[in-house]
Amino acid sequence: MKKYKMCMIPASPLENVQLLKDRVLLPYVCYRLFGESFSIVTQSTGDYPYLSYLEGTDFISLPEEQPHMEAAVSYVSGHSQDIDLLFLFGARGEYMELAHTYKSLRPDGVIYLKLDTNIDWANAYPLHDQNFSVFLEDCDIISCETRKLQSFLYKKWLRPVEYIPNGVWYPLYPEAGDVQFADKENMILTVGRLGTAQKNSMMLLYAYALAFPSLKEPWELVMTGSVTPEFQAEYDRFCKEFPPLAPHIHLTGHISDKQTLYQYYKKARIFALPSRGEGGSPNVFSEAAIFGCTVLTTGVDAAPDMTDNGRVGRISPDPEDVKGFSKELLSLCQDPDYLARNFHEIRSYMRAYFDYERLAGRLRSLVELQSLKRRRS
Amino acid sequence: MRIITTDTCVSLEEDGQVFTLLEKPALPDYSNITKRPYFSVYYSEGETVWERLSCSMAKFADFCRDDPYLGCYGLILRRLYPMLLSDNRAKNLAAYGAGTDCMAYRVIQDFMTFLHTGSALTALAPSPFSLTAVSPGSCAALLYRLDTFPAPAAVCDAINRIKSGGLLLLYTVKETVPADLAALCAKAKKDSFGPCTLYSLTVDEAVMDFAHENGSEAFVLARASEITRRADDLQNLVQAMLADTALPDDAWFIAVTILQQTEELLLSLYDYLENDELPVHANALKEAVLNCYVEMCRPCGLTAFRDKLTQSSELFFTAVEQEFLT
Repeated sequence: MKKYKMCMIPASPLENVQLLKDRVLLPYVCYRLFGESFSIVTQSTGDYPYLSYLEGTDFISLPEEQPHMEAAVSYVSGHSQDIDLLFLFGARGEYMELAHTYKSLRPDGVIYLKLDTNIDWANAYPLHDQNFSVFLEDCDIISCETRKLQSFLYKKWLRPVEYIPNGVWYPLYPEAGDVQFADKENMILTVGRLGTAQKNSMMLLYAYALAFPSLKEPWELVMTGSVTPEFQAEYDRFCKEFPPLAPHIHLTGHISDKQTLYQYYKKARIFALPSRGEGGSPNVFSEAAIFGCTVLTTGVDAAPDMTDNGRVGRISPDPEDVKGFSKELLSLCQDPDYLARNFHEIRSYMRAYFDYERLAGRLRSLVELQSLKRRRS
Repeated sequence: MRIITTDTCVSLEEDGQVFTLLEKPALPDYSNITKRPYFSVYYSEGETVWERLSCSMAKFADFCRDDPYLGCYGLILRRLYPMLLSDNRAKNLAAYGAGTDCMAYRVIQDFMTFLHTGSALTALAPSPFSLTAVSPGSCAALLYRLDTFPAPAAVCDAINRIKSGGLLLLYTVKETVPADLAALCAKAKKDSFGPCTLYSLTVDEAVMDFAHENGSEAFVLARASEITRRADDLQNLVQAMLADTALPDDAWFIAVTILQQTEELLLSLYDYLENDELPVHANALKEAVLNCYVEMCRPCGLTAFRDKLTQSSELFFTAVEQEFLT
């Protein structure tokens, strides 16, 4: 099997925290599996301590005096022979020139575009723009993060779009290997930027409040993440309005230490995702799931994929339906057998379909096929 | 470009160049030997055919002044004129590519109705499906704007709507025609003035044969047959995979290649598919095959992949059967 020289170029300067997210992790795992080399080409935004997790990565800083994309195009013009497989992230207009430059220099090379989109964004792509259409044609492999979106894009673009979800790179989570259901507590966990419109955190508070009187055992609600001032005020008001609940709801604030966060995943039996929308399956879902948390989510695009259509989790479709979410939450809290069984089911499901090493294995075959096609043409 | 009409002549003019479209014919008096409306109208005291034609040309000049296809409309009416006057039967014409609100088509319709109240020019919506709504072999002529739909299959579909001996009028303001249509256009009479070109093709047996072979119906049938052939090959391969039959090393790769080709074939037929999820089903089967392959290379002891392969293949093959074989 051929080994590829791989390169990932973000559409805007990369931040340290993004090094351990899908835009870099999937290319990096591909490199580990079938790469000869792997470079990240970006303007620098500061220090990159997370690079220590990505052994073998060549970090190439673009010059600051030009705009990021202009510098990236110059880089590709001069180094196209060092790139057999180019990873792009997001169907962004900024990439049009870059992709075209690469393809004109390396018609035998392969471009993989990971869309990182949701249906609203996908509906707004400027398909009428000739340059954008050419950009999509330049991309040999395009993948999206949810099956719902895949079906939509097939109909809209009339071209193959692969389903490659946001997954997990297990070596980053050694703690997930030894987690036991017996170690878990009656804890409902949510993780995210609390108080933002997207995360819909208040809905979870009220759903918990509705379920609370019917709970046969006490359940704690732990809300982790940075808190907007508005949400803090709402939370304070909520605690005054429902004093018996206040001791059971915990705002931890932002947790930057991953080990501390993993302790919460280890303890939680239920992971709640009350979001109004997500671009694919969020990273926090994958993390919760590999620690064996049963996921309760709203009907975000990725909900059927995250729960295997409701088999390893529950979906309350309408993000504004507090009663519906509360009913599902209560039903989960009152079904310890399902939670215990699902602890294993969801972990197996994740191992089978969200493991980046497996996803990279599939991507490898797709790249081989494209590469062969390119060489033939 | 301008249209100039005089008592005896209609012509196109641009940059000092002149192209004569029609001259008033000096007809003998046929009034003693026929009472057909054509001749009676022509010699009636009211408006004559020539006057009406001149008026129609003037309407082109008036309504389509800024239309780049103005010259084409003049050339079209020039070619239609003898056909419309050739006998006293009502004529059924269709026009494709300029939309349904093209003023020039209304002018031509008006002229046709003047000659025979039963004649009709149907302006079709700019969609391949609107052509299929016209009965095969039903049009005396079809006006086709090549620049809107340059695909050979669409042109052939248009030809299939024209009766034997009828006219296909392909018009364009582009300098060249698509390479796939060059041979067909070479058989046509070519009128050209300024940027406007009209190809007038009489639909004879050879043209009809060409159209049948290259029209979308033949295309769809050929693709459908390719898909079912590939599906058969795949079914055997997938069954062997599920039965743990020893397979050559490249069997998985072949299966994925076939599926990738099938996906592309299905997408090329997308507008005609009843089940619009079929290409996605093909992709899901490809994914399941690849997952099994990855599992074979890096076993993690899960049976989920085999179950998924069974499910995905059943879904895909059933859908193919329903779409193409029932």
